Amino acid sequence: MAGVSSPPPMDEKAKRTRDLLASFYTNTSNSNSAAPSSPSAASNLTPRSPSSLDSINSPSFDASSYMSLLVQKSNLEGLLQKHVQMAAEIKNLDTDLQMLVYENYNKFISATDTIKRMKSNILGMETNMEQLLAKITSVQSKSDSVNTSLFEKREHIEKLHRSRNLLRKVQFIYDLPSRLNKCIKAEAYADAVRFFTGAKPIFEAYGDSSFQECKRASEEAINTVIQNLQEKLYSDSEPIEARAEAVVLLKQLNFPVDNLKTSLLEKLEDCLLKLEDESKDVSVGEISKTFRAYLIIFPDSEQRLIELAQGLFSRRYDAVRDQLKKRMLSVDLLELLGIIWEDVSTVDQVLPEAALPAYSLESTCSSIRQHISIAFSHLQHEISDAVAGSQSKSNEGRDELDLQIVLENSKKAAMQGSLDLLVELRQFFDEKLELLPKLRELITDWVQEGFQGFFQNLEKHFILLSGSSTNNCPLGESNHSGVLTQSPDKLPTGLVLVLSQLAVFIEQSVIPKITEEIAASFSGGGVRAYEYGPAFIPGEICRLFRSAGEKLLHLYINMKTRKISVVSKKRFTTPNWIKHKEPREVHMFVDILLQELEGVKIEVKQILPCGVIKRHRNSDSVGSGSTNSSRSHPNAMREDKLTRSNTQRARSQFLESHLAKLFEQKMEIFTKVEYTQESVISTVIKLCLKSLQEFVRLQTSNRSGYQQIQLDMEFLKAPLKQLVDDDDAAIDFLLKEVNNAAHERCLDPIPLEAPILDKLISAKLVKNKDLSASPL
Amino acid sequence: MQGASTGIVYGGLKYQARCIADVRADPDHTSFLAGTLSLKEENEVHLIRLSPSGNELLCEGLFYHQNEIWDLKSCPYDSRILSTVYTSGETYGASVWKIPEISSQSNSPQLDQLVSLDDHTAKIKSVLWWPLGKHDKLVTIDERNIFVWSIDSSNKIAKVISQESVGMLHNLSGGAWDPHDRNAVAAICDSSLQCWDLRTMKNANAIEHAHIRDVDYNPKKQHILATAEDEFGIRLWDLRMPKIPLKELPGHSHWTWAVRHNPEYDGLILSAGTDSTVNLWQVSVGSEDSAIDSPRDKRSRQIDPLLNSYTDYEDSIYGIAWSSQDPSVFASLSYDGRVVVESVKPYIQRK
Repeated sequence: MAGVSSPPPMDEKAKRTRDLLASFYTNTSNSNSAAPSSPSAASNLTPRSPSSLDSINSPSFDASSYMSLLVQKSNLEGLLQKHVQMAAEIKNLDTDLQMLVYENYNKFISATDTIKRMKSNILGMETNMEQLLAKITSVQSKSDSVNTSLFEKREHIEKLHRSRNLLRKVQFIYDLPSRLNKCIKAEAYADAVRFFTGAKPIFEAYGDSSFQECKRASEEAINTVIQNLQEKLYSDSEPIEARAEAVVLLKQLNFPVDNLKTSLLEKLEDCLLKLEDESKDVSVGEISKTFRAYLIIFPDSEQRLIELAQGLFSRRYDAVRDQLKKRMLSVDLLELLGIIWEDVSTVDQVLPEAALPAYSLESTCSSIRQHISIAFSHLQHEISDAVAGSQSKSNEGRDELDLQIVLENSKKAAMQGSLDLLVELRQFFDEKLELLPKLRELITDWVQEGFQGFFQNLEKHFILLSGSSTNNCPLGESNHSGVLTQSPDKLPTGLVLVLSQLAVFIEQSVIPKITEEIAASFSGGGVRAYEYGPAFIPGEICRLFRSAGEKLLHLYINMKTRKISVVSKKRFTTPNWIKHKEPREVHMFVDILLQELEGVKIEVKQILPCGVIKRHRNSDSVGSGSTNSSRSHPNAMREDKLTRSNTQRARSQFLESHLAKLFEQKMEIFTKVEYTQESVISTVIKLCLKSLQEFVRLQTSNRSGYQQIQLDMEFLKAPLKQLVDDDDAAIDFLLKEVNNAAHERCLDPIPLEAPILDKLISAKLVKNKDLSASPL
Repeated sequence: MQGASTGIVYGGLKYQARCIADVRADPDHTSFLAGTLSLKEENEVHLIRLSPSGNELLCEGLFYHQNEIWDLKSCPYDSRILSTVYTSGETYGASVWKIPEISSQSNSPQLDQLVSLDDHTAKIKSVLWWPLGKHDKLVTIDERNIFVWSIDSSNKIAKVISQESVGMLHNLSGGAWDPHDRNAVAAICDSSLQCWDLRTMKNANAIEHAHIRDVDYNPKKQHILATAEDEFGIRLWDLRMPKIPLKELPGHSHWTWAVRHNPEYDGLILSAGTDSTVNLWQVSVGSEDSAIDSPRDKRSRQIDPLLNSYTDYEDSIYGIAWSSQDPSVFASLSYDGRVVVESVKPYIQRK
């Protein structure tokens, strides 16, 4: 037990000893040093002291309480043990204290010895010091005397040395002119400049007084130097390095080099301008050499040179663009662009900073683009010329005859023109120009875009030509409409039909062909962002032209019916129908109507194809027609009855016709118009008859008025049927409708007797025959 | 006959007819007045009412009218007053009538004639009421002249306040009274639309070179009007810019006879034509606020402006009228005397 617990008490003991010693030496620091060693013991001493056995080291150690605590806590064996331990500790402490006292005593004795020795050494030192002081003072006085005696001589020497230097300098300056001349002779301009710049401060200081002559001479010399240097600079034969050196020297002489530079560059610019004027007098190779020389001579002139080079090429591209304004062939354009490209690459080797290839690429792009767009606008002109050109011809007369030719011509212009254009533009790909492969995709896009734009414009142009454009430009494009308002009157109706047909032709033949061609040679071109899709969208264009064709066809019909409607309006609004005279003959108006319709037929025949699907339509309309005609019989009979009818009957008649209509299949008057002769003519006639009906409904007539209308309609029946081969039923129906309308609007609806009707009609026929016979 | 299910048909008119008018002053019912056009018979004026359930047209009153009616208007502030323009053979006339108390329903009673507007020297074309409400003046248009009348319906007095001739060269055929300006009347002339200022009785403005059949002011936007024309179908105009139309609509396959703006839904236009169809159009006319709704404008330009074409008719349609009581309902009158009332609700909801 004791063996185990003995090492810590040893440590503890040593520590305690040290602490006690420390407290012995520094009484004040005791608390400080004790505090860190046992801070808890120090602070908690008073309350804990009775319970702690470790507080033996603290200053407030109470021996009696410690004892009583010990006696209370420990058993006898423990007390005995503690006793033994404590006795040993006390013995130890005693020896430790003895040792310490001994050691300190020894130290004290040795210190006393040392002090004794020091005292004896210091005694002899003072006299030595005094001797040294005396010697040093004597040395100092002696050195002072030497210094004063030599001072004058030294001063003199220094003065002499200065004047010698000055003299040497003066000598140099006096020699300077001759030396400079020597340098000039030897062409050692660098030395000359170095000498002169060396002498320059002196000249600046004393040039006006003592060295006047000298200064003048050397300045003369240096002027020759400058001149020579300038000559050297200007002469193209000198090696570039020499010229560069000359520039450096001139700059050292404070000569305004910038002026020189600008003059030189201006000369170069003139030279470049000349190059343009005389196109091939100075080769670009030389120019590029000059560029390089200047670049070396004037390292800071690069910016200017770049400008010059860019100017040169921009002028050349401008020239190309100017030429483009006139229509030129792709081959020629390519040749021009090729030449410029070569030149550009030559210059680029010298001046890579000018970024000429990029610029050139850009310019080439734009010129090709311009070329393409010009080509397309040219094509458009050609087509519109083919259409409109004929207009001027037709103004001289015989307009109806060449409609067909016009159509053929314009068809050819559209087809051949666009194909030729494609072939021509394809040359961009055949040519072996370094640039073009890069541009291939771009060009593809442009061509496609070009076609897209071209067809869109063409469609607009058609609508514009036809004069219906005023319909479609609300406000925004009103500027156009001012110009265009005249065109509807000017453009003959026939041409509208031609345009319509042309639109159909473009939709059905040209666009598929072009699409094919483009797919063959201008496919790809993915430069455009994907979201835009391909530039040329044949579907869209087809749709455009299809609608344009329909629009134009409708416009044609509209124009024709309007013309007839004007005539009809006059016919029905002018006379007083209530006081109409008995019909003596078929009214003149019928002739005019037929004449107009005949005109339509002639125009239509030239341009539109015959209806191929005639059979189909026929069977269709016969179906409705048969119901019609079956209805017409009882109707006629009823009308006979009605001759005796009075107002009571009229009502039943109204109801009857109402009922009849309910059972009758609705007559389709307003069918879809097709691009056939029959369809167009019958549409025009149907619309005209419908108009007649409406006009009649607005009037109130007497019996004679009704009879006149009856007669006119009866007469119209045969020629109209002749005009329309297939849609008899509709014509019958509509004529009947006109008749009915007249019947309704008549105060006294008694129709003409059939014999009189026949007589009057045959009389009219005879008359017409006579009329047509007489001019022949 | 595919459209038969949507329209409500009134077959009570036994004669041909051209005129139908909305009874604006009736706040409780959707009512229309229709007048017949028959040379030989006693003509009738029908007061037609849409049943509350909205699926039946009832005849509320049937009144004899001596002569055939070429124009019929309902008084905008008194549901029992109407005006007609009529002819009989060579004679013509215009009157303001009062619908009698509907007591003796068995017999078709006569209309009480309040006033006869008979200072006209040429054939009367139309009578115009100021469309938005009480106004003591009336405008009549005959072929040569425009008259302004002062009307006192209670005392049965009508006086001509002013009159102006358009000259022998012109032929007036109808007109419309600007709902935004009581002093402006648009009169349809031979080849132009003339805007008259009633204070000075002068022609103030004109749309030239247009063969117009019908004209209607936009009730929501001043200066905007629609015309039904010979050549172009329907065109919309801003009277401040009479040279160029704002917009064009294709109209009908034959003549476009009448055009009417919806009283409530802006840009909704109804047109009737002699091709036996009624067309419903949606157009947006950006006049002042064009900058704001230009994107929408652009979009609507791409959309077909034709919302629907009602084709279930047997004859030409000369009369159309929106109901002002229920603006999603319109009545159309075809020449054979059939009144069809249709609702355009499915098409407005789409917007």
